[in-house]
Formats: sequence, structure tokens, C-alpha cells
Amino acid sequence: MSDALPLAGLLVLDVSTFIAAPAAATALADYGADVIKIEAPGEGDPHRHNYKRAATYPRSESNFPLQLDGRLKRSLALDLKKDEARPVLEKLIRRADVMIVNFPPPARERLKLRWEDIEPLNPRLVYCSLTGYGETGPDRDRPGFDVTAYFGRSGILDAARYEGGPPGLSLPAQGDRATAMTLVAAILLGLRHLDQTGKGSWVGTSLYANGAWANGTTLAGAAIGAKLVTREPPDRPRNALTNLYRTRDDRWLQLLVVRDDRLWATFCEVIGRPELFSDARFTDREERKRRALELHAEIAPIFAAKSYTEWEKILSTTGIPFGVIGRVVDVVDDEQARHAGIFAETSNPEVPRTVNNPIRLGFATPRVSGTPAAVGQNSEEILRELAYSEAEIDALKKAGALG
Amino acid sequence: MPESALPLQGLKVLDISSFIAAPAAAVVLGDWGADVIKVEGPEGDPNRRIMHDSSNYPKSETNYPWHMDSRNKRSIVLDLKKPEARAALDRLIEKADVLICNFPPPVRDKLKLAYEDAKRVNPKLIYASLTGYGESGPDRDRPGFDATAYFARSGLLDAQRYEDGPPGVPGPAQGDRATAMALVSSILMALMHRMKTGEGAWVGTSLLGNGLWSCGVIAQAALVGAYLPHRPPPERPRSALGNIYRTADDRWLQLTIVRTDKLWAPLCEAMGLAPLIDDPRFATEPDRRARSAELAALLSAAFAKQPYEHWRKALAHHQVTFGVISRPQDVPDDQQAVACGAVVETKIAEMPRTLSNPIRLSFAEQRAAHPAPALGQHSEEILREVGLSAREVADLKASGAVK
Repeated sequence: MSDALPLAGLLVLDVSTFIAAPAAATALADYGADVIKIEAPGEGDPHRHNYKRAATYPRSESNFPLQLDGRLKRSLALDLKKDEARPVLEKLIRRADVMIVNFPPPARERLKLRWEDIEPLNPRLVYCSLTGYGETGPDRDRPGFDVTAYFGRSGILDAARYEGGPPGLSLPAQGDRATAMTLVAAILLGLRHLDQTGKGSWVGTSLYANGAWANGTTLAGAAIGAKLVTREPPDRPRNALTNLYRTRDDRWLQLLVVRDDRLWATFCEVIGRPELFSDARFTDREERKRRALELHAEIAPIFAAKSYTEWEKILSTTGIPFGVIGRVVDVVDDEQARHAGIFAETSNPEVPRTVNNPIRLGFATPRVSGTPAAVGQNSEEILRELAYSEAEIDALKKAGALG
Repeated sequence: MPESALPLQGLKVLDISSFIAAPAAAVVLGDWGADVIKVEGPEGDPNRRIMHDSSNYPKSETNYPWHMDSRNKRSIVLDLKKPEARAALDRLIEKADVLICNFPPPVRDKLKLAYEDAKRVNPKLIYASLTGYGESGPDRDRPGFDATAYFARSGLLDAQRYEDGPPGVPGPAQGDRATAMALVSSILMALMHRMKTGEGAWVGTSLLGNGLWSCGVIAQAALVGAYLPHRPPPERPRSALGNIYRTADDRWLQLTIVRTDKLWAPLCEAMGLAPLIDDPRFATEPDRRARSAELAALLSAAFAKQPYEHWRKALAHHQVTFGVISRPQDVPDDQQAVACGAVVETKIAEMPRTLSNPIRLSFAEQRAAHPAPALGQHSEEILREVGLSAREVADLKASGAVK
């Protein structure tokens, strides 16, 4: 593997907040881009405080989400609402290759951060826009979040429910991070266009479109009126042999005895109920399906009597197919995850390991991340790179434009 | 908006993959102009039959999943187990820019389709590999599926359950399609690398890696020893004002009230529960939190009395924002889904609308979807393009290597 990272030399302005857009900038930084995060002086990106504030985030003393969304970035604290900040921003825009923006359209207009405001400053710039719901239409101005725009609006949560049950749950930033990969692809297509034509461009995506894409199979079916499928809850299965069972330690096992024509006898042995094999109620596949609830009533207490690990051991030696429902607590030490390059060591003692972006390249490895920059940590250094004098920097600070 | 050629025009892509994640990446490349050749075995990609084979797919007369995952591709049938087919495949590889492969490693070895094999034929080739669990390690040879590798093994499904409830329900191909965007990004990075260095490359991603990337917040939290308890079910929420409720017509809506002091009275008005405004049990936010189950029961009973449409109007009238939990069948006709470009028209008579990929570019528009190919529909034309004579093609057909 050569050391030249594919995005080395690329200057990226991350003028965005929260997760999907900053996560795209992270992936670019992982592969060598120089990412400058432009954020409000003081509090900075509100995402910096999610680990303390958001009810859906696990509690920790260390700012773990920032290792994902702020790593390998330099922070420039600039108050874009102040007139004095504008020339600094414009100087950066003139030098940048990529600029990532996720303000809702009205805020962009107010801050003069729309593509039409920016393009005249740098016609070679790839301007990357993330919105909740797209650039036009009745809801374009609505701030969009992962749970509302990606999961709720796209039909994923409704589709992810058991018959009669509540909608499915999404995890914090789950759709944001998937969307980030789309932004990366969009930016790379913009850079290719620049190589081919010498011209900059607008590229972008929306959380809604990404949720709809992820839910694409179901939505394509819905669009031609296909009858949508509901999922039976585990206590009312249509087939008791391909169903979820709770183990003694409140974990779940996905039983996958699809070939019960061949495996029925083995299965009865394995679960310690050999007499079920000759039970007149369950003699063949049709009977077993027809009496799925009765069969479930026989099987469920058996699975509930042993722990997940015990069942895993029993089933894996007998050829009874089952699916593992993993837990995050186990995955972080999963040898296979290490082989797949999913986690990486950092040089940040507070957060010694992080999650890699999922892109693997034979010719380059992602950069090792250190401690994410504090708000404005690199403000002066960046301004000096732009040839600002100490006096000018002081003046900007006094005006409150620079933090 | 389009002002120039599609960014991937002229790019030759061999899609030697099956099911969804890898073929969907090829779809995205095709949407942006690439010439995608789908190489299939004599039985064809099993995704051609998945709508019938999988109980989780909505059923239809139209093979919508196949159209969605193979639009704008051409199909050639090569029986790679036959030596004659291999020579023909090498001709295709010689002329290709990108080869997408998702066979598990042992099959790649058997078919001589590992990166080293393909590189020998074409050193400038970009070889894009999709696996379930990575390229090495104890589970590298396991076929990985979206439900098992992206959702179950990663810990997503376990984390997506309500306290005491069963695991979450993944929608068909939901993780596959998200993974496709990471694969596209990796291919585009390699194209950039090739433009700079003239070298081909191996790139890839795994379903497990993408699952963990999408649940990066909880994975990163686990890496520092922080865990999120399972979400309490809707009948005993942490906050009744940040909870989901079922309406009379079995739909769900999500209250997301953060500024509870400001919105408490408007909410009670909108719900027809005005007496609650001054009810001492719920006078302050701490009171409402302490009695969240009691409050949730009152709200739940009220929501159950009227249909969704009633509540949508009533809440909007009192300026109480809420999250929409769309049903999949609502999305294709959602004006905003069209505005953000997610739902587009096709040139497929039996499937007039489909889902576009979520990338948007100012300088180009995605190609309209044309029907997915029949098995081997373009075998002859493709072989002639890479220089085989009519005679050679006829011989290959006679040997059964080509169909």
C-alpha cells in the first residue's frame, strides 16, 4: 500500500452541523482531505454537546460521538452572522475544493451561502448540499432529522413493525451515517466532473431521498400497488420453525429450520423433546405450519429455559440452522470485525478506538485520528495561512467574529 | 439542469454479482452513465426470483425488485465453470474499467475471480469487492445477507427493540441499498486514484462494516464502555410528550415536543383535553416526567378516538409539531418525495415509477430507467463488441458456455 491518500491535497470546508453532512467530511478526512470545520464561536456545532444532552445517546464522560464526526478536522470558529466574518469565509471559499453545507434553505439565503452566492467566488468549487427533504417542494424549508426525514417520512419505521405493534425504532444517527456515504459519492462525482470539464458544480442529497432509497424495495412495490407484507410477531408465528425465540437471558435466537422435512427429527432430539417427533399433531410440514401456534407453545418455554450461549453451543454442533442476533457489546471485540477493518485505534487516550468509515481501499488506509479539535482550536493558524496579520486576527476577535 | 455528458459515460462496468448490495452499486453507476454488463450464470441472478422466494417481499405481477436492481443493464450468460467461458470473460475484463464481485472468497478462488486473477488480465482494472463479513478472518467465507450481516450481527436489531420486546424488523434490502452507496464511493475513489497514478486497484466494503457504521453512535459508545438501555415501550415512555401514539385508523404519530413548557397548553387544547392544562398532576415538566405513564395513558386514549387526518389538522392548528410516520404506500404519492427526486418516472411500461438513487448533481440527471434485461438478452452483442466473431460466439453457445 502506498502512502499517498487519494484525497491528499483536497481542501474541504465543512460548514455543517450535527451528523450526516459532518460525517461525510469525516470520511473525506479519513482519506486525506484537509477538512476545516467552520462553526459558531463558543458552543460550536451543537452536536458537540449531544453526548450530554440527547436522551437517545448513551451517557459517557468522554465526547465519543465527536471521535466519529469531528475527527481529523481543524476547527475555525467564525460567526457567520457578523459582517466581519464574511471576508474570511470568502477567502477560504476561493481556496477550497469542496464546501459542505446543511443549513435549511432560509438560513442559507440569510447567510448568503446558497450555491448561487458561492459559485461566483470560486467557479471550480464542488458545493455539496444536504437537506432534510430536498431543494424544492412544500417541505424544503423544514429542518430534517434522521428520525423524521430518513426513517419516519420514508415509511421505514411503519414497515418495521410487527403486526399490531408500534412502529420500529431507529438508532441515533443511523440514517445520517448511511446518508454520509451518498454525500461522499456525490462529491466524488463532482470532483470527476471538475477533472473532466474544469467546472465546479452543485451536488447534494436529502435525508428523505436516502431513506426512500434504503426502503426502495418496499416503495417500488408500493408504487405499483403490490400488497405490502406485515411481519407476524414472534408469539404468533406463521411458521414456528422459522421464528424468533427469547432465551433465558433476554436475548433472541432466530430459528431457521427451513428444511424441516429433513430436520424435524433432529430438531426434536436437539431440543430434548424426542416425543414431539411422533406427536400426531406435527407429523408433516403442513401440519406443523397449520398448528404453528401450538408448536410455538411447545417450543418457546424450551428456548426460554437456557441462555443464549448455551443454545448457540447446542445448535451449532447439530446442524440446526439459526441466525445470530448480535449485541453491540459483543461486536466491538468480535474478531471478525477486526478482520473486516471496522474499528480503528486512535491516538486519543480518552477514546482509544473508533469506527472506520466502511470504504476499504487496496492502495490506502484511513488516517489515524487523534483528539478532535476544540471549538476554534485552529482559528489563528488557519487565518495565518490566509495571510491575516496578528493585528487583523485580534480585530476579528474583538468584533466577536472569530472565536 | 443537465449541461454536459453524464459523469460516468464511457465507463465499462462488469457486474459479476448477485442479489442486491453489489448489483445496486452497479445500478447507481449505470444511472450516471456507465455501461453496465451483468454477467450471470445459466440460472441467472437469484434476485430475479426473490419476490417469489422471499416471504418478506410484497407480491406483484411485475418483477419490480428485478427492474429496480438491474435497470439499464445488459445481460450476458456465461457458465464460468466451463473453461471456454473463462476465455470470453477475460476478453470482457480486458475492456472493463470496473469489476464488481460479491462471491464469497472460496467461490472466487474456484472461479479464478480473485483480485489477483483479474489484475493479471487487466492491471488498470478497479476491482470492487463486496463481502458479508470482510476479506479475512473466521467468518470471511460465510455468505452474508443484509438481515444477517448488516442488521443482526452488527447489533442493530438487538438495539432496535423496545424493552422486553422482540428484535427490530429490517425491511427487505434496506441495509443492502445503504451499503451500495459505500461501494460506489469506494469505486469513485479508485477512479480518482487511477486518474492520478494510472494504476488499477482493489476496493471494497462489507455488509457488517456498513451496519456498524450506520449504528456508529452506539458502536462508538460501546468502544468507551457506554451503553444505551433499550427504549421503554410507548405505554411507559420516558416522556409522554416525546412518544408515539396510535390513532383511530391504526396509524402512528410521533410527538417530539422539546419546549414542553411553551407547548403544554397548545397540546392540551389540540387534544381536546383543556382541563389538563391546570391539572396539578402535570403542572411542571418534572411532574409530567414523573407521571409519564399516567400522562401517556390519557393522551393515548385521546389519540385513539380520532383518525390521523383529524390529529394532523388539530396539531398543526395549535402549532404543535410532530413527526410523520408515513406508511410505505403513502410515499410514492408524497409531493415531497417527487420534489426531492426520490420517486421518478421510468421507461418501463409495467412499472411506470421507481426510486432514483439519492445522489443529485447540478450538471447531470440520472438516466431514466429502462427495463431490466432478460437472462442472456445481450450475450451475443456483448461478445461481438469485445471482438469475438459470429463463429466464435456460435461455438461458445454450442458448448453451453454462453447462453
